[in-house]
Amino acid sequence: MAERKTNRRRELGLFWMRVLGFGIIAAVTLGYATYVLTPKHDYGICSMVNFYEQPENSIDVLTVGTSLAYAGVNTNVLWSEYGIAAYNLCSAEQPYWVSYYVIREALKTQKPKVILLDAKPSIYTRDYTKRGRTVLSTYGIRGVENRIGAMVACVETPADALGYILGLPQVHSNYETVTARDFAIPLDNGGRGSSWKGYIEVDEVEQHRKPSLVWNGMQRNMNEREEEYARKIFELCAEAGVNVMLVGFPNPDYASDHMYYNALWTVAREYGVDGINYNNPDLKFGLRYSSDFADWQHLNVKGSMKFSKKLGEDLLKLYDLEDRRGDEAYGSYEICAQKWYEKYPSFVSSGIEKEEGNHAD
Amino acid sequence: MSILSFEFLLFIAVIFCVYYVLPTGVRWLALLIGSAFFVFLSGWQSVLHLGAIVLGTWLGGLALERVKRKRGLLCLLLILEFGALILVKQDTSRAAPLGLSYFTFQSAGLLMDVYRGKVKAQRNVWKVMLFVGYFLQLSQGPISSWKDLGEQLLEGHPLRPVSFVSGFQLMLWGYFKKMVLADRLAAATAVLTQETGALPGWMAAGGVLLYTVRLYADFSGGMDVVRGISRMLGIELPENFRRPFFALSVAEYWRRWHITLGGWFRQYLLYPLTISKMGLKFGKAASRWLGKKTGRAMPTAVTTFLVFLLIGIWHTFSWNAVIYGAYFGLLMAASILLDPLWKKMNRRWKLGQKRWMYPWRLVRTWLLIFPAQFFAFTESTAQSLAVIRQCFAGWSFSGAVDKLTGIMSAKEWGIAGMAFVILMLVDILCEAGFAPCERLAKSRIWVRWPILLLLLLGICVFGIYGPAGDSSAFLYTQF
Repeated sequence: MAERKTNRRRELGLFWMRVLGFGIIAAVTLGYATYVLTPKHDYGICSMVNFYEQPENSIDVLTVGTSLAYAGVNTNVLWSEYGIAAYNLCSAEQPYWVSYYVIREALKTQKPKVILLDAKPSIYTRDYTKRGRTVLSTYGIRGVENRIGAMVACVETPADALGYILGLPQVHSNYETVTARDFAIPLDNGGRGSSWKGYIEVDEVEQHRKPSLVWNGMQRNMNEREEEYARKIFELCAEAGVNVMLVGFPNPDYASDHMYYNALWTVAREYGVDGINYNNPDLKFGLRYSSDFADWQHLNVKGSMKFSKKLGEDLLKLYDLEDRRGDEAYGSYEICAQKWYEKYPSFVSSGIEKEEGNHAD
Repeated sequence: MSILSFEFLLFIAVIFCVYYVLPTGVRWLALLIGSAFFVFLSGWQSVLHLGAIVLGTWLGGLALERVKRKRGLLCLLLILEFGALILVKQDTSRAAPLGLSYFTFQSAGLLMDVYRGKVKAQRNVWKVMLFVGYFLQLSQGPISSWKDLGEQLLEGHPLRPVSFVSGFQLMLWGYFKKMVLADRLAAATAVLTQETGALPGWMAAGGVLLYTVRLYADFSGGMDVVRGISRMLGIELPENFRRPFFALSVAEYWRRWHITLGGWFRQYLLYPLTISKMGLKFGKAASRWLGKKTGRAMPTAVTTFLVFLLIGIWHTFSWNAVIYGAYFGLLMAASILLDPLWKKMNRRWKLGQKRWMYPWRLVRTWLLIFPAQFFAFTESTAQSLAVIRQCFAGWSFSGAVDKLTGIMSAKEWGIAGMAFVILMLVDILCEAGFAPCERLAKSRIWVRWPILLLLLLGICVFGIYGPAGDSSAFLYTQF
C-alpha cells in the first residue's frame, strides 16, 4: 500500500515537472512567434527598440509625439548644424497617454535637457487609440509596467488590453507579411542600424497653401483624457527636473487645430511650461507650403531641414545645450548624420537628383 | 463565455485547480459551481430556463416514482419541456438560452429513464442540476444519458496523467479544427452564400462542399474541445462524430454524424414507437397489403421517416429544415424497405467482397448526401433552389483564380487546404484503427512535445481570432 502511494507520488511529481517544462517551452516558442509577427515599422516600434541601444544619458533633446514630430525634427540637421544630440521617440498618431508612458520609460536611462512635446494630440477627440496604432506605439516598450500601463491606457476597457498584453492575439495575422528579416534577433531597424536617431523621412512633394487663419487666443476644450495625460506629463517632467517645450509643427491643415493648441498652451502655462508654435505666421524661416510638405500634415525632407535649422536655433537660445560634435561618446550621431547626408540626394523632395538629371539632358 | 475565449481558458484553469484540490467525494461541487457560474454569465434567460428545467426534472422524477398514472405525468412533463423549447425556438427575435435543446433533451431522457425504471430518480436537486447543466456540454452537446454521464460527474476522479495528456491533445485538436479550418472557411462560405446568383456552377457547388467541410470542422472541433477538457477532468463524454466522410451508406453516415442526437431519437422515440401497440398493429395491417417482409419493415420505415423529419425541424423551424429532414427520412425509409432486396443482390453477386465496391459506396453515399447540403447551406428554399439551378447554369473556369483570390487570398486558401489535408490524414489514421491521439498520449516526450508545440503554434498563428478576425460562434450553439 505504502509502495503504491510512493509510486503514485512519483508519477504525479514527474507529471507536474513535465507540465511545467512543456509550459516553459510553449511560452518561449509563442513569445518568439510574437516577436517574429510583430510589425517592425520605423514609425513606432523601431524607434523605441533602438532607443535602448543608446548609451545612458547621451540624449540632450528628446522629441515625443506623432508622425508630425518624427517627420519634422531632422536629428541629422540638428547634429550637423549645431551639434545637438537629439532623438525622436515618436509613433504615428501617438496620444498623450502613450507619450506619458514613453517618457516614463525614457527617463529610466536618459536625462535630456529638454523634451519636445508635440502639440498635435491636443486635437484628438478619441478616448482610446486605434488598434494598429496601439501596437505600433507600445510594442517597443520593454519596461513591463510602462508597456502594460500604455496598453491599458490605449483601450476602451481594461479587459481589451489582454490581447495586447499577450501579444499574439493582436499580431498573429501578420504571417502574410513576414520576411526573413523578421526572424533576426536583435531587430535590424529596417537596415538603419543602431546609430539611427528616430528621424523618418516622408519623401513626397505635395503643393499646399499657407493656412489662412486669424491668429487669436480663442480656445476649444481638449479631449479630457488628452488633457489629463498632458498634465501628467508636465508633472512627471517637473518631478524629474526635465524641461518640456511644446512644439506646434507646421502643417497646412493647421487652421482647424488652432483653438485646441491654444487650450493646450493654457494648460501648459499652469505648470510653467511654454513652447513655440511654428504655425505662427510671424515666424518666418523660409518654409514654402508649395514645396516643403509631403502631404496635408507632414513636412517632407526639404521641409524638415528648413524647420530643423530654425528649431536648432531656438533650442540653443532657450536651453543650455552643449555642442557635442567631436566628442567620441557621441560618435553614433556623427555616423547617423553622415549616412543620412550621403543618402540625401536620392530623396525626391531634395530635388537634387532630378536637377542633376536635367543638367545631364 | 465562448469556449474560444481566453477568459474561458482561465476559467478552465481555475476549475482544474479547484477540482483536483478538493477531496474526491466532493469534486462534483467544483463542476456544479463552475456550471452555475458559466450559465449565470450567459444571461438571465439561461438561468431562468435551465432553473425551471432542473426543478421540473427533479420534482418530476421523484413524482414518477410515486404516482400511479406514470404515463400521464410523463406526457405532461414532456409536453411542458418540449412546449417551452418550441416556444423559445420559434421566437427568432430573441437569442435562445445557452444549450437550450441540449439540456432539454438530456432532462427529457432522464425522465423517460426514470419512467422506464432504468434509473432511480435523483433525490439531490444539485446533482440533477449538474447533470442537466454541465457547462461543457451546454455549448453544443453532446446529449448524454444519466448512465453515461450523470454517474461519472458525481464520481470524484483522481488525476490520471495519460488521460490528462490525451484530453489536452484532443482539446488542441478541436481548437485547430475550429479556429484554423472552420473559421477560415466561414468567411469564404459567407461570401459564396451571398453571391450565389452571380457564381459559375463549379463555385456554387464548391461553396456547398466547403460549407459541409466547415460544418464538420466547426461542430466536431467544438466537440473535441469539450470532450478533451472533460477527459482532463477524468470525465469521458460520448463521441458525437466518427469520421462521417468515410460513411459507406446514408444510414452509416447518420451513425457517424451527430451521433448522440441520433442516438437520443432512436432510444426515446424510434424504438418505443416501433414496438408500441400502434406500431405493431400498423405492421400487421401493412403485412396484409404489402407482404410479410415489407409489411414488417413498414413501422420502422415510417417512424424512421418521422424521426428524421423531427431532426430536420430540430435545426430550425423553416421549410429548408423540413426538406432536409424529409429528404433523409425518405432515403432512410427506402433503404429499410429495400434492405431485403439489397441482401438478395449481395448474396447472388457477392458484392460485399468486391474491392471496387468500397470507393463506389463512398461516392454513392456522398452523391446521396450532397443534395441535402444545399438546404443546410442556405437560409431559404428559394435561395437553395437558386444555388441548385446555378450548379447547372455554366461551368466556365475563365478567371477562376481571380474569383477565388477575390474571396480569400492565395495564402489563406493554402492554409485552409493544408489544414484540411491534416484533418483528413488524421481521420484516415483513425479509420485505419491507428488511434493517433491515444498513441501520442502514450509516446515519449521527444515525439509528443514537438507535435503538440506545432499544433499549438499552428492554432496561435494561423487560427482566426483576436481583433483581426473574430472567431465566429459555433454553428450548433444556437440550437
